[in-house]
Amino acid sequence: MPLDTSTYNLALLRVDGRRWNELRRIHAQIRTQAAADGSSYLEMGHTKVMCVVTGPSEPGPRRGVAGAGGGGGGGGAGGQSKEAEVVVNIVIAGFSSVDRKRRGRGDKRTLEMQSTLSNTLAATLHTHLFPHSQINISLHVLSQDGSLLAALINAATLACVDAGIPMTDYVTACTAGSTSTYAANDEGADPLLDLNHQEEQELPGLTVATLGDSDKVVALVCESRVQISRLEGMLAVGVDGCKQVREILDQVIKAQGQKMILEGTVDKGTGLNDMDLD
Amino acid sequence: MASSQHVLLSPAELSYLHSSLSLTPPLRPDGRSPTQYRPLSAETGILPGTNGSARICFADGTEAIVGVKAEVEKTKRRWDDDTIFSENNHHQQQQQQQQQQQEGEEENEGRNNNDEEGGSSDWVELTVEIPGYRDDDSGTVFLGQMLSEALLADGGFVKRLRINRRFHWKLFLDILLISPPLSYPLPLLSLTTHLALLATRLPKLKSEGDEDPFFDDDWAAAPYLYARDPATKRVAERPPVTLLVMAVGGNIIFDPSKEELAVADVVLAVSVGDDAQGKGEDRMDVDGSNPGRNLKLLSIRTVDPPSRLTPPGVANAANSAYGHAQVVNTGANQKMPEARQTESEAVEGVWKPPRGGAKAVVMGALVQKVLVRGGVADEVLDALEGVDTS
Repeated sequence: MPLDTSTYNLALLRVDGRRWNELRRIHAQIRTQAAADGSSYLEMGHTKVMCVVTGPSEPGPRRGVAGAGGGGGGGGAGGQSKEAEVVVNIVIAGFSSVDRKRRGRGDKRTLEMQSTLSNTLAATLHTHLFPHSQINISLHVLSQDGSLLAALINAATLACVDAGIPMTDYVTACTAGSTSTYAANDEGADPLLDLNHQEEQELPGLTVATLGDSDKVVALVCESRVQISRLEGMLAVGVDGCKQVREILDQVIKAQGQKMILEGTVDKGTGLNDMDLD
Repeated sequence: MASSQHVLLSPAELSYLHSSLSLTPPLRPDGRSPTQYRPLSAETGILPGTNGSARICFADGTEAIVGVKAEVEKTKRRWDDDTIFSENNHHQQQQQQQQQQQEGEEENEGRNNNDEEGGSSDWVELTVEIPGYRDDDSGTVFLGQMLSEALLADGGFVKRLRINRRFHWKLFLDILLISPPLSYPLPLLSLTTHLALLATRLPKLKSEGDEDPFFDDDWAAAPYLYARDPATKRVAERPPVTLLVMAVGGNIIFDPSKEELAVADVVLAVSVGDDAQGKGEDRMDVDGSNPGRNLKLLSIRTVDPPSRLTPPGVANAANSAYGHAQVVNTGANQKMPEARQTESEAVEGVWKPPRGGAKAVVMGALVQKVLVRGGVADEVLDALEGVDTS
């Protein structure tokens, strides 16, 4: 369905009523799954994903080419190496999109997302602390409405925090786009933050992931044609969005931590006495 | 994802587990009674983008989500539907014409035809996704088969998907196991599918007869796939459930955990349905006293128990560490140590994996136990009825 982008200039409002620099509603939960080492649930607008982390653990018996089939290649090498292997497995549920579309194991887009994720996380997690082991991250996409890769990265970060795997900092991701199509050659095109599915179909866009509060970009994926003059603006907006996302994720984790201290699940550490738990 | 996941238990542990499960009453590792299910929490309607969805978490932390999506599809017509006037068809038509003349109702013809034509099993597509396992893994395919078999067994389910003679609904059931597979997930997936189907709604049909289907776009008016009784708000007929039952020694145990499966003699997956036709009026009269349901057996599958693959224990009498090596170290046994193990007599307290198939008596007892009125199947269905599916 083509998106009518001409209306943007009239009121500077997007199809879903947002301004150019507004994120969609982000709702996140961690520790949603009792049996897993770490788990999270994340909604970015109507994109809903669940993440379950198992490990770091001893790598299981390799079932044939299960590495290629189930998991998306390792960031950090195999079980015998000095670093833990990060195996990412993305399941896109058949019911997640408006029209049911079955994605097989070998779906190229899924495989690419898996390898992007495992490379990104392997660079951020302290995998050298867990030699000869494996960190299994399985992600379930329950509903998709654009910015899928960004949502997956954010959910994986939350689950890794929940699993207590040491990492450099939060990896947060966000998408950015541009208000007019590649062909339009419009000089005054505004950059857009956090694309939904409709915008993603029609407009040029990129996914950017940054490390914590810094401007360090750890992943950048652009699958559409963008004029080079617009790229800088889009990237700036995207990086800015990542910082907003980081704040939100940070709040979620702090809230969960407070809850666990109040419930007595974990001991209050030293130096936490001055922390305001109200 | 076969039930034969490796359980890291030693022969001594297996033997202990086997003998404590064989006691009367059996002692289960998690303290449940033999017919008790794991406690669970359930919710439905979690995904607004689907026709019906459900999520169940068992107390051991395993969790599954099922989403149901429906599409309108053109029914493939048999080539002889209209073109050839077979004896049988001709006869039916004549009968119908007579009926029409007698009753003077034009509607009746369409009705009769509708009732006569069943559905086809390819109107339902069921996929199971288990993280870390390929979707063409034999275990995953087997799980999917067992679940779809239960649905399609009596042909009653696909009849619900009929729109008219030219169109039908195609139902896609996507079953996701969210947690790592800690135990054999069949009961979990089956119960979740049951709830998702109960919560499934299809848009209300506005067109009549064999027209191209045209639907009411008001979702609030959409009827449930499993219709509710307007007075009691209860579901008249319910989707099937598949129960996992196992036998150890003389005991029958429901909803076994992974450790219990590791010592099972026989494991059965039994699918039962709630037979609505059978209960009729007399059931309604005594509703308060709850006489139990008329359960209908839909399908049975034997599941290969992982206990067959466990290593056998060695009796002290045959163990060289106890200084009895000379007793058995003779002739052929020395060359074939594995032959010695398989041929050894059953010794009390020494684990010996079950050999051979299940006995017909045991199978019969298992099925009987599932189908008994007011038994576990009833309990499970009653518990699921307590979940708000509206």
